[in-house]
Amino acid sequence: MNFRLMAVAALSAGALALGAVQASAQKAGGTFVKIVQPEPPSLASYLSTSGPIGLVAPKIYDGLFDYDNDLNMVPALAESVDVSADGKTVTFKLREGVTWHDGEPFTSEDVQFTVMEVLKVVHPRGPNSFREVTSIDTPDDNTAVFNLENPAPYMLRALSGYESPIVPKHLLEGKDLRDNDLINNPVGTGAFKFVEWRKGQYIRLDKNENYWKPGLPYLDRIVGRFIPDASTRTAAMENGEVLYGAYGAIPNIDAVRLREMDDFGVTTDGYSMINPMALMEFNTTKPPFDNPAMRQAISLVMDREFLIENIWFGYGKPATAALSSNFAATGLYAEGMPNYPASGNTEAAIEVLDKAGIMPDGDGVRASFTLDLIPYGEDWRRAGEYMKQALLPLGIEVDLRYEDVPTWIKRVYGDYDFQMNVNYFYQLSDPVLGVHRHYGTDQIRQGTAFVNSTRYSNPKIDELLSAGAVEPDADTRAGIYEEIQSILADELPVANIFEMEFLTVYNEKLKDHATSALGAYGPFDQAWIDE
Amino acid sequence: MSIAARRARYVVKRLLQAIPIVLAIVILNFFLLQLAEGDAVDVLAGEAGSATPEYMAELRAKFGLDQPLPVQLAVYLKNVVMFDLGYSFRHEMPVSELIFDRVLATLLLMVSTILFAVGFGIVLGLIAAMGLNTWRDTAISILSLITYATPLFWVGLMLIVVFSLNLGWFPTSGMENFAMFYEGWDRVFDIAHHLVLPTITLSLFYLALYTRLMRASMLEQAGQDYVTTARAKGVTERRIMFVHVLRNALLPVVTMAGVQVGALIGGSVIVESVFAWPGLGMLAFEALFARDLNLLLGIFLLSALLVVAVNLVVDIVYSSLDPRIEVG
Repeated sequence: MNFRLMAVAALSAGALALGAVQASAQKAGGTFVKIVQPEPPSLASYLSTSGPIGLVAPKIYDGLFDYDNDLNMVPALAESVDVSADGKTVTFKLREGVTWHDGEPFTSEDVQFTVMEVLKVVHPRGPNSFREVTSIDTPDDNTAVFNLENPAPYMLRALSGYESPIVPKHLLEGKDLRDNDLINNPVGTGAFKFVEWRKGQYIRLDKNENYWKPGLPYLDRIVGRFIPDASTRTAAMENGEVLYGAYGAIPNIDAVRLREMDDFGVTTDGYSMINPMALMEFNTTKPPFDNPAMRQAISLVMDREFLIENIWFGYGKPATAALSSNFAATGLYAEGMPNYPASGNTEAAIEVLDKAGIMPDGDGVRASFTLDLIPYGEDWRRAGEYMKQALLPLGIEVDLRYEDVPTWIKRVYGDYDFQMNVNYFYQLSDPVLGVHRHYGTDQIRQGTAFVNSTRYSNPKIDELLSAGAVEPDADTRAGIYEEIQSILADELPVANIFEMEFLTVYNEKLKDHATSALGAYGPFDQAWIDE
Repeated sequence: MSIAARRARYVVKRLLQAIPIVLAIVILNFFLLQLAEGDAVDVLAGEAGSATPEYMAELRAKFGLDQPLPVQLAVYLKNVVMFDLGYSFRHEMPVSELIFDRVLATLLLMVSTILFAVGFGIVLGLIAAMGLNTWRDTAISILSLITYATPLFWVGLMLIVVFSLNLGWFPTSGMENFAMFYEGWDRVFDIAHHLVLPTITLSLFYLALYTRLMRASMLEQAGQDYVTTARAKGVTERRIMFVHVLRNALLPVVTMAGVQVGALIGGSVIVESVFAWPGLGMLAFEALFARDLNLLLGIFLLSALLVVAVNLVVDIVYSSLDPRIEVG
């Protein structure tokens, strides 16, 4: 990939975006009330990537870049980026005249501090995103030079205000990063300033009058409301009390109803950098799933289209490989992998089991196991019930287990006390960021949630993953990932089910809310209300 | 000794008796909560996406979760004795602050519900008892059976559908209008406006109970000898009903109300959830799923104290309603 070219494209895209802003007839003012569900544990987006924090914090904190809906880089705190020919020196030109919400100037020191002292240290994904960064030079206030150990092409896709928020050095330096005032009282450079958080009710953000984009934001205020009950959220949306709900805040069953009404819109845009994937994790160290044939049979028998159509109301796409088809844009996605039939193939599954010598006993039972389900809502329980039914013709008996979140996380990632687990992962904007954590031997980290729970370890895969992470040439990199996907389609420590499409439901009064690839996790600086 | 002095002594005695009870409740709760799998760090780490084992160990040390259980309990008890409810690591706030924020919303909902339910319950029970076996009695009995048998969340949702979505009279949820941020009296009216549907929902269930209880109690009292005596003395039916019978019939209702004030804090989780009412029930519910034990223990302690206090008040109300019951 040519990074210089990308930076140029980014600049022109940014110029276009700003031009478009000045040309159209947006109305300023108004309070934008949206659903934030569940209530976030804190507002420290540099400490936690918890979903509800993402719904609020990126309005307060900027990143170096934002991304438009075609995944082009849009300048934010950085005006441009230049990557050296060997890919090991990345120079950001920072915007001049930006101030923090408390009036202090923003400088390259803040960028250096944020990446080296904060994101690389305490952010859940930061150590991965910036793992090649050895030091950052600050020749002047508006230049930050990242020195890399190896080229890191994926780093430029992890610079948004959601993924890598730039935080104020003068308020954090010398303090305990996990226990300080900024955690609940964020101070950023973003379009909105934090005002108040009434626990159990709402978070209120007011317009930043000194925002670095002239004339923006349009909204006077953003209020994020917490409404625990899904039916009430739908009612509040219908009643116009809230204007926006993302990440399934309005259940699909209600979304398809609201979609038919005049005042409401439903979109699946704004999730392409999140890339959620529903999947099955198999415990490869214990029977029955220490045998790859069992894993293949389960993947083969799964009617992915049925699940999407009947449980998720048609929102989703059958998975066909270890990578989501959204990676086709960067050339990393490989088509035509085995063991991923869209509509399920019971005969093929039986054949695989027969060939592997997993035969029915006297009662016709080949295997039995307990299936754990991610406790994030009724849909997953329905999916488990479907799977139980679907596996019966194979002679596989399934017990379903549905626990609360802490118990489930401890079971799967703390004690490895599971056989098969249905879950979903964010694949994010690059496999290094979102996919490697499933498969690498170095990702078997007992007690750490959402990493390699299957304890799958394959030296060949480890080698390929390391190579893929640092390969700067796009074609060579695509070749590496094709090999990875082809090995994983046979071994299947994790079998993907479907590429999830989260729904954003919005009131048509709300305009220009989907200007960023990050959707609900975006800055919302251009959103406005047409009263 | 005067009645006032005797009452004061009685209150002090009861309060002293309550101390070991409350302590026992705290200790019991503490160990009960340890039975749940996983801890606050597991939840925080799970939500964060991924976290290193070192980070989680560090968090556990910070939260004091790496200490042996008896030590954790001792630390907690020491803090409680010094009126310190501890710190919620999930919310990054002192527990007392979190609870105080919510307790007003809970009290508002609880008091309005009790007033509404007990008030209407007494009136409806009275009407039913006075018109025994008439259409009024039958109608009230059927109504109370229906409201008693209907699940709370369903009543709540139906009220929202009818009064918010179709009629547009009331907002669907929340305690205030967050698009406006009213101040002064406007804010008071706004909160009252938001309070109507949750109060009705929560009251309907209890209303049925009080209606039935009041009716039965009235009928029972009406058959007592003192009523016959009063009638023989020539007291008017009206006076018998409202002065003699009513006062005696109220005793079981007061007992019931006393028991339920304590239960209302926990019982309103459903209503708080449906109407996004920012009360203690939801806080406790979320704290449980986040394994935020300090916060949960704080809420339980407050509930325990409240139950003790309400029971004391009920006993004193008894002696006012019926002077034959003495305190002390």
